[in-house]
Amino acid sequence: MSHIKYLLLVSRQGKVRLMQWYTPLTPKQKTKIINDLTPLILTRKPKMCNILEYNDHKVVYRRYASLYFICGITNNQDNELLTLEIIHRFVETMDTYFGNVCELDIIFHFDKAYDILNELIMCDGSMAESSKKEILNNIHAMDAIQNNDHLDRVLS
Amino acid sequence: MTSLYAPSAEDVMQRLRPYGFFFEKSLKDLIRGIRSHNDTPEQLEMFLEAQLSECRKEANSSNMELKTNAILKLTYLEMYGYDMSWCNFHILEVMSSNKLQQKRVGYLAASQSFHKDADVLMLATNLLKKDLKYANSNDVFKVGIALSGLSTIVTPELAKDIVDDLFLMLNSSRPYIRKKTVTALYKVFLEYPEALQSNFDNFTSKLEDPDKSVVSATISVICELSKKNPAPFIRLSPLLYEILIDIDDNWIIIRLLKLFTNLSKIEPKLKGRLLPKIIELMDSTNAASVLYEAVNCIISGNMLDETDYDVAVQCLEILHNFCNSQDSNLRYISCVLFYKIGKINTNFISQYDELIMKLISDVDISIRLKAIELLRGIVSEDNLRLIVSTLVKQFVGDEVAIVETSRGVSKEIPIVIPETYKIKIVDVILYICAMDNYANVDDFEWYNAVLYDLTIVSLDLNENKLGTKIGEQLRNLMIRVPDIRNITIVNIIKITSLESVEIKLPSILEGCLWSLGEYSTYLENGDALLRLLLKKAPHMQYTTQSTTIIALVKLFITWCNRNQDQAVQIKAILEKLVNFLSGLNYSKSFEVQEISLQMYEILKLSLEALEEQADGFPLLLSEVIPSFFNSYELTPISLGTQRQLPKGIDFDIDLPFLTNEQLDEVLKGQESLAEEDTDIYDSDRFSLASVEHNFISNADYSDGSSDSDGGKEHFDDTYKDFIDESCEVEHKKEMLSNPFYLGNINDTNNNNKVKDILDIGDDTKEDSINSADIMKLSKDHAELKSQVEAKKKKNKMKKKTKMKVLSDQVIVIPGVTDSVKLNGRKKHVSPSNSLLSNKINLKKHTKLEDYNFDNSKNDNDEEIQELEKLRSKFQNQNLDNVKMDDNNNEEEVIVIKKKKKKKSKKDVPSKKSKKDHKSTETTPEVSAEPLIDNAKSE
Repeated sequence: MSHIKYLLLVSRQGKVRLMQWYTPLTPKQKTKIINDLTPLILTRKPKMCNILEYNDHKVVYRRYASLYFICGITNNQDNELLTLEIIHRFVETMDTYFGNVCELDIIFHFDKAYDILNELIMCDGSMAESSKKEILNNIHAMDAIQNNDHLDRVLS
Repeated sequence: MTSLYAPSAEDVMQRLRPYGFFFEKSLKDLIRGIRSHNDTPEQLEMFLEAQLSECRKEANSSNMELKTNAILKLTYLEMYGYDMSWCNFHILEVMSSNKLQQKRVGYLAASQSFHKDADVLMLATNLLKKDLKYANSNDVFKVGIALSGLSTIVTPELAKDIVDDLFLMLNSSRPYIRKKTVTALYKVFLEYPEALQSNFDNFTSKLEDPDKSVVSATISVICELSKKNPAPFIRLSPLLYEILIDIDDNWIIIRLLKLFTNLSKIEPKLKGRLLPKIIELMDSTNAASVLYEAVNCIISGNMLDETDYDVAVQCLEILHNFCNSQDSNLRYISCVLFYKIGKINTNFISQYDELIMKLISDVDISIRLKAIELLRGIVSEDNLRLIVSTLVKQFVGDEVAIVETSRGVSKEIPIVIPETYKIKIVDVILYICAMDNYANVDDFEWYNAVLYDLTIVSLDLNENKLGTKIGEQLRNLMIRVPDIRNITIVNIIKITSLESVEIKLPSILEGCLWSLGEYSTYLENGDALLRLLLKKAPHMQYTTQSTTIIALVKLFITWCNRNQDQAVQIKAILEKLVNFLSGLNYSKSFEVQEISLQMYEILKLSLEALEEQADGFPLLLSEVIPSFFNSYELTPISLGTQRQLPKGIDFDIDLPFLTNEQLDEVLKGQESLAEEDTDIYDSDRFSLASVEHNFISNADYSDGSSDSDGGKEHFDDTYKDFIDESCEVEHKKEMLSNPFYLGNINDTNNNNKVKDILDIGDDTKEDSINSADIMKLSKDHAELKSQVEAKKKKNKMKKKTKMKVLSDQVIVIPGVTDSVKLNGRKKHVSPSNSLLSNKINLKKHTKLEDYNFDNSKNDNDEEIQELEKLRSKFQNQNLDNVKMDDNNNEEEVIVIKKKKKKKSKKDVPSKKSKKDHKSTETTPEVSAEPLIDNAKSE
């Protein structure tokens, strides 16, 4: 299994689009990680492998169009391939939810992206639900309740 | 004109708001705004600041919608690095909203912003308890959100308060809630391991849950917990094994393999059952990640013994296939596993040399970095040269990777070689060459050339450690390989005379200078070298300076003894030396100051003696100072020998070095010898040579020195020889750019030049210190040199005979146990680790790691009972002291709380100590404290 320490979405320009920390870190450390990793990963060539070592842990990343999905995982303990698989599952799920997802979708609906991520990866950074269908069902159910809220509000 | 009853703009907004009309900026507007203000950083900064203050206002408003909106925007802005912890209380308000949408936003913000914020968390506890109540079917997601949120913000106190609610929810009828609860419990266990201990069976029963996702989550959590503390989960292994056999879900299989890796590390018995199953799995599956995990499980789970060739071969075959695949990720991870297998037994990987050679030329530098570690496993006498030349070529850095772009067009991208990789290359080359006392090096002239190249490369690498290492190698060569000392010393002189070496790579000088001083007898004209060093020395580091001072004195003594007739020059150099040392007498470094003062005084005495004694050569220079350095030859001694020396040896301090008779003899001898001064040196040398064991025979010395006239010719010969050798060096580029590598074209010119320099008088030498000039080898060794040459030619003919390499001398001192011996060489030091400074450490220490699960339940109950007793006692006392003023009361509570915290943090080594601990500390704490307060208030 994979125990993800943090997940970052960074655009090709180095802008952070999403970040989720599964380990308590001070804001200073977070900024340091982002500032260190972004140039490291953005300068990597397409033929290079998607794993690199950073300080005491490994970083696995994958590029989808203009977005880099970056995961920090424990050295020697986690399965790098599985982490890539999880990233892919996340992208697939978002793709189905938004319908051909692009960077703008994630920018404007970042809370939805977080919701999907929360369904997919549990708070401790481990994969919670591998079924795409299940995740989408849950998200849609939540959206339905939310819409009911809106309706209630208008009717009241 | 507006009527009195006309609604103000504010009112209109208020009325429209429930219909979903907003007049404040929504998140969308914020994002659009950021995108449109993106021209300059200043502009963006200003925009964001304005937005931030707007959000601050909105967050303070009483309208829930507005507040939620503001929190959402702030959460977005946090990604731009704006702290939002100031609005934690507002977040809490949003979290407590009944509307799912608002709750979601609240929990999202909380997970980003609550960092052990004790005040807020105290308030959040009740909210969480409320949110975790499951009332109707619509509450499923509310509970889910609360569980996700909980786990990101949990603290020990919160965990303790909430854990019972969570265990109740484990039995929920909804798989969704069970799953979320299981994962949320993970964080709780980390903070509050007692909970796991008391509910172990309840929790692990979820492994048999009918819902697969719950089982999967439970396995994940157990796997994570076992990373920290595998011991309590060993007894689950039969059950887990059953699951492994039955299940066909690759996700879960991988997690199970991870879990078994952790368990097998501490329970070797598992290997017997597991290994056949894993090998079976490896044969049946096609998924790369499962294969990888299986191999990893075997290796990391200590299931591979040193002698287990069959299993090793099977694993290595899989990795071999991975390494040949197009997927760079597979190549990378299999490189890492290769290394681990090699660590178990180097013989496993020794046959994969071709593959590893391919990997060190991979297009991906990170793969090379891994593969380069493997080299020490495959290096041998036959492939060392190939490996080193492959690596050194990479410094040139003109490789390209061919990348196919999406349109099917291939493009060349230059491979950028980062500095860390270059440092690693130098490091690895030095390591594999020096391995096993230079067992793999068959030609030390070649190794000298390699060292020189590495020095040139390291000059620009800005890594001082490399200098130390290369310097050590040169020194080692000098000591351990006596047959090529004259070649090594030329190399050392070249390196020392490199321009600005003392600034760019100062650490290399220490080893070099020591060798120059120690083996100064190999040098003919030490005066030129002395001048060069005197020029460089003031720019050196303190540590190097102290080595330099001794080296200078050694060089000077050797040189002046050989040229006793040139009194004028000796005096000139000596004056320079004394001048130089007097400058260092006030050095900031204590060490330098001390050594320089010592040497300064002695040399000043010599100078005075030289001035007084116009006719002869002073005894101080010819006898006394050389005796400091030349009494015996230094040999390599194995590490730890010094530690074995018996302590408390007595010295007879009063015993004089020379008796009066001996002194007279020496003085007499001095007088008589002064007449034929050349012989003194020879006699001195004889005595020196006789002590040297593994060194050149005496005959060589006497032959060489008696043949004093032929010095220049000999020198020319040796120099030519050196030119010939340097032609063999593989890296032509460096040869051309470097004045010391003389190519064939310049050959004759340079020879002439050398002659010219020699012909010019000494006066001009001082101005143009040329390293070629210094490189004059001692004529004594020219003969020897030609012998080596002859030997080398013989070698080239066919048979390669290895040069003699001195190995460490082990000095056994009787009465000292062998256990003190250190095998320092075998120690495996990974050089890369030390390169990282100011690390970010993700490994957090949790209480779970050192929590002892061995306490049986009974003890636990006893403890709880005891604790209960104390609590009731304490409560009674509290009731008695109702009158006590509030301040005191508060203080008291805090004191006790702190104590408790400490107690729970502490390791619990055994039940007994815990009990003792309690009875000694807690009880008096509780009973004594209020009494004193009572007395005071009364």
